[in-house]
Amino acid sequence: MEILDHISKHLRLGDDEMVLSLTKRAIARNIHPKTILDDGLISGMNVVGELFRKHEIFLPDVLMSAKAMYAGMDQLKPLFLKGGIPGRGKVVIGTVKGDLHDLGKSLVGIMLKGVGFEVIDLGKDVAPEKFIETAVREDAKVIGMSALLTTTMPMMKTVIDLLRQKNLRGKIKTIIGGAPITKAYADEIGADAYGFDAARSVECVNALLSD
Amino acid sequence: MTGLVPIALDGIMPSFKAILRGQGVPPNAVISGRIRTLIGKSLDIFSSEARPCCVTRDVSMGDFDEIFRGEGYNEEQAPLKAIYRRADHLVLFALTMGHEISRSIGAFFGKNDFALGSMLDTVASVAVENSVAYLENFAAKEFTGKRTTAAGGVVLNYSPGYCGWHIGAQKNVFRYLRPEQIGITLNDSCLMTPLKSATGVLVRGDKAIHIFENGFSFCRTCKDQTCLDRMDRLSSADHPTL
Repeated sequence: MEILDHISKHLRLGDDEMVLSLTKRAIARNIHPKTILDDGLISGMNVVGELFRKHEIFLPDVLMSAKAMYAGMDQLKPLFLKGGIPGRGKVVIGTVKGDLHDLGKSLVGIMLKGVGFEVIDLGKDVAPEKFIETAVREDAKVIGMSALLTTTMPMMKTVIDLLRQKNLRGKIKTIIGGAPITKAYADEIGADAYGFDAARSVECVNALLSD
Repeated sequence: MTGLVPIALDGIMPSFKAILRGQGVPPNAVISGRIRTLIGKSLDIFSSEARPCCVTRDVSMGDFDEIFRGEGYNEEQAPLKAIYRRADHLVLFALTMGHEISRSIGAFFGKNDFALGSMLDTVASVAVENSVAYLENFAAKEFTGKRTTAAGGVVLNYSPGYCGWHIGAQKNVFRYLRPEQIGITLNDSCLMTPLKSATGVLVRGDKAIHIFENGFSFCRTCKDQTCLDRMDRLSSADHPTL
């Protein structure tokens, strides 16, 4: 449908006003909200992710597109709730205890919401128990942890060990990221995935939830 | 060198190049006009809202032994452990960009204006780095004429939370320096508010004391490796010396 292509195109351009207007128009034409989300907004966001990976656009471009995505999503959310349309799943994210650097984590949250996940952002300086309690209470299938300091990285292992102790490993998957984090470190502590950057974190969460 | 150090905004304003690097944009990348506009807007906001201020305090070797030790969680081998003991002057410092900037960053994210929030965050982070560099130069000038070290001495900063110096040492830094007087507070996890702040120690001494092999256990997980740049700059002719 042409209008969905327009939504996708203006989302790529980061034009939030046009995306808002076109989404309203698509709703008025009785296009199913899930179709608008999948073939308009998410389709556009997928292209943005691809261009970002190829270094054809950069972080600020992605974030302008994310704002446009949210403008459209805000119109669709009430319809999803009203129609009982299931979301793509919940993800709990946060910066680990002892660390206040949360920009990277917030970007991952923005991107995850952008592709339709429900994100519970616990903020920064988050205690290990809080990650797990929240994931259990909210029935989230993935916990995402971020750290910028080498001194706070071990908190990620604490969370994973706690999941193991509570027999929740496998039921709740973990993804970790942040400046000092490497794939080798993620493997060493038993994380299920390593988010190199925001775009790849989204791919990893997709993969974890389709396992 | 104890007291408040004035930091003029003109001296710490981030360059386009540094901002783009902070945003992860590769060098020589072609950026769009809208990114340039965003940077310009962020710099304007930063200029009008940042309130940079800094406090310093001279510290004796004996007192710094205790400050460095913190809560006893430092790595057994940490570069600073060997560096500060060979220094001829140590100065604690804390500096901040103020509360208003942090509030604005949060507000932009709250309004879904992620690109502007993120850009302003980067501008403020680069300004903190620039302020620390400014302070190093300021200290180097302060020490000129008072030096007790041989020619070739330099001032470099080191901060808790990096390179084996455990973040827990922040408590001692705060107890000794009282950065609350410039509006910086510490929480139970030893993290500062406002976030766009920095603390640490300025170490004055011969260039050679700042040179080390970056083969510590924690170096393996460090992606930044900024120590290498610092050491390279030490070797270059344009590094300010005392």
